[in-house]
Amino acid sequence: MLVRRTLVLAGAAGVLAIAGCSSSGRSAGNGTSGSPATGGTSATAPATAAAGTVSTSQCGTKPGAAATGTPIKLGAIVTDQPGTSFTDIANMAQAYFSCVNANGGVNGHPIKYYIETEQTNPAQIAAEAKQLVQSDGVVGIVGNTSILECTIDHTYWEKLGIAIIDSGIAPECYSTPDSAAVNMGPRYSSDGAVQYALSQHVSKVVFDQSNVPGTGYIAAGPNALAAAAHTPIVNLTENVPITNADSVAIKEVQDAGPGGAVVLNFTPPEALVILQAAQKLGLENRVRLWGCSTPCNTDFLAQQLGARWNSKLFVNAELTPPDTTSTTAMQLYKAILQQYGSKVSGGVGSFSQMGFAEAEIAVHALESVTGGYTMATVNAAFKAVSNFNTGMNCQLWTYGSYSMHIPNNEDYTVTPDNGKMVQAQGCTAVSSVDPQIAGYRQAAGTAQLAPSD
Amino acid sequence: MPTWTDLQPFFVSGLALGGVYALSGVGLVVLYRATGVVYLAFGAVGALGALIAYSMIKAGAPGWVGWLACVATAAAVTLGYGLVFGPALARRDPLVKAVATLGLTLILFGAMDLLWTTGGGQSRAITLPADNSGFTIGQVQVNWTQVIGLGAGVVIAAGTACFLRYTKLGTAMRAIANDREITATLGVPVRRVEAAAWLGCGILAGVAGLLLADLVALDATTLTFLVISSLSAALIARLRSVALTFAAALLVGLVHDLLTPVQALSNYRDMTPFALAAMALLVTSRHRVMSAGEG
Repeated sequence: MLVRRTLVLAGAAGVLAIAGCSSSGRSAGNGTSGSPATGGTSATAPATAAAGTVSTSQCGTKPGAAATGTPIKLGAIVTDQPGTSFTDIANMAQAYFSCVNANGGVNGHPIKYYIETEQTNPAQIAAEAKQLVQSDGVVGIVGNTSILECTIDHTYWEKLGIAIIDSGIAPECYSTPDSAAVNMGPRYSSDGAVQYALSQHVSKVVFDQSNVPGTGYIAAGPNALAAAAHTPIVNLTENVPITNADSVAIKEVQDAGPGGAVVLNFTPPEALVILQAAQKLGLENRVRLWGCSTPCNTDFLAQQLGARWNSKLFVNAELTPPDTTSTTAMQLYKAILQQYGSKVSGGVGSFSQMGFAEAEIAVHALESVTGGYTMATVNAAFKAVSNFNTGMNCQLWTYGSYSMHIPNNEDYTVTPDNGKMVQAQGCTAVSSVDPQIAGYRQAAGTAQLAPSD
Repeated sequence: MPTWTDLQPFFVSGLALGGVYALSGVGLVVLYRATGVVYLAFGAVGALGALIAYSMIKAGAPGWVGWLACVATAAAVTLGYGLVFGPALARRDPLVKAVATLGLTLILFGAMDLLWTTGGGQSRAITLPADNSGFTIGQVQVNWTQVIGLGAGVVIAAGTACFLRYTKLGTAMRAIANDREITATLGVPVRRVEAAAWLGCGILAGVAGLLLADLVALDATTLTFLVISSLSAALIARLRSVALTFAAALLVGLVHDLLTPVQALSNYRDMTPFALAAMALLVTSRHRVMSAGEG
């Protein structure tokens, strides 16, 4: 009987683990739908408020005229599994393409966009890349955001000469010749968060992150910065999902000490449980400051945390803060999100900003193509993008023919302010003390700051 | 190695978590004893209740309405499952009964992932009024939610033990656990007794879901998987003893949290439920083999 009970429980645990994965899905569209965003979150509210003065018709060259030419096929691979979903990025890119298609297209051609979702299964990711190219016939890859995709597929893209425009996570998104991201990724964003803490003269840094592949690579940047500042740093990792955030918060605060800083590199839900645990235990003021990499930069998190974290938590922001910026590009982003972004569940925020920027860069590059849209011409155009103002980055964005690409290497710092994230520090270059940043700047130079309107 | 002073806060957090595990574990044991079902959807129904409570509170409902909705949802789903599938599965093997509850788990899990997506960096939380007040023991800050977590575990475990021992319904549940057919022939309304067990288990799932959403995280994946810790406590107690389930749950919570500041073991602390359950199984199996040999 005991053995039977054991088998029951062991089997149950195994099936529960498998249940963590969901089946893959795919969608393709030429972007003719356009219902208003109904994200149902307060974060979507600013889109309505701030998008009024710019019309979505500005996204294309022929306002109001739907594109009728042969479609230009682009594709994306994004992680979508319980607890980790990056579909908002590709969905926002789709929204931008829908807007372009409804307003003249690219030289008269609509963009047909294929979105593949994956569940961190290497075989699935490799198969999806081949499917996009061989079955769907895409000529460019735009909007990839995946935990593993760069690692799995970069050699395939390089072999085909496909220069992807993505939101990077894995090291290969930044260290290989055919991937250029609009975001900074976990390493350089963590660099920015630690750099801000060091600038506040903390006595020690505790850097805590999810226990996933690549933690050593990510921690290398913050460790280099702390070493250069002669400040001790403690590296911690946590299994996710976190099963008791109270103990995690206690450990971090004990390790940091009263003059130290705790810097987190987690997804928003995990960061939130740690910060809330610290708040419930009265730990938020037991260290000098708390820091966080870009994923914490959401109004969802600011709303859940409340006023006790105002000017206590400092979050690295890889992209221009949307709530306090009213440039033409930012207004266009909000207008497109409102009109075409019904599938963008998170509304205004970093993820949809990334999707907007990637689609914008792609369309800018495609407009420069003369003749046919082939894999060769499209990817040559992508690589030729130079000093482009996305309106979402501190710097002008360049692809270029370099062995590595970190085109976004200046960032902001934001802090919660009664339910909103507001700017605490303007554009600041990530330190070249990180050898990867130094290597990139040596190859590509330092990009100019993007002009505001 | 951490000092004694460093370890003290981890005792508090471990006991609080263990208390909620105990509450969950007791619910599982009671249901198993009455129906023979290992209810693997316990965490998922609690998560569903907590997410509904979150949505109601966010929409402007008073907190207590949300909490009641959480418990009511978990109770209704569990009771509904028990009423619909319980009789059909009553004579099936325990493994079949357990796997059948996985179906419910997967349906709820999928629905929660669809309705409360984590896309776009969305994060949610439930906070209880007890979070913001507490007291200090030495240098350790204790909040009232932690006290409630441990207290609920104690009260539920003691209350359930008394209920099973001293009440008519509890006696009927124990009788059904021993032999369903004979109990039925004695005139005990078996289905009604089983329905009461399903309802009780559902109520405990709702209470546990609410407390765990506050103490751990309001996340469907996390809460669904947390049932494993409670299951391990129930398994250590061989799915029989309420008192032993309570003690095992506290042990799981304590060992898990006390390993947190130990750098070399910290990343392995999530193995605590499995390791303790495996050790308990080995010890009890060895004991049974030796007893059989002696006999």
